[in-house]
Amino acid sequence: MSRSTERQVGEFDPSRQWRLDPQVALRDEEFGALAYHYGTRRLVFLKSRDLVEIVRKLATAPSATDAVAAVVSGEQQATYEAALSRLAISEIISAA
Amino acid sequence: MSEGTTKVAPAVEATNDDALSTDELLVEEVSIDGMCGVY
Repeated sequence: MSRSTERQVGEFDPSRQWRLDPQVALRDEEFGALAYHYGTRRLVFLKSRDLVEIVRKLATAPSATDAVAAVVSGEQQATYEAALSRLAISEIISAA
Repeated sequence: MSEGTTKVAPAVEATNDDALSTDELLVEEVSIDGMCGVY
């Protein structure tokens, strides 16, 4: 069965490669970063520097899982993948 | 009815990553639709 190539907002598959959405500006802050989406006008707080590092690694990692594993380990990985899922729903990250 | 004032109070505190247990602590979304010039 073929998979649709259309962008599927909100559907997060960690085995795929993701990236910071081109319409998103990321600004580093003491708590992590602010992400602003110029298309949706959503403002999202990334309240962990590890999460910011993961988001920045998405574009070069073969999958979101790999990007997460490069920064955090163990049981934290599931938490950070869930955080990426929330960012996908908010369209802060998008499938590459 | 709108109060006519724009308040941007994210109330974000620096958090200890070691204490984080849920994704909700990592990501918080704020709607700024209708607010002009706040970013």
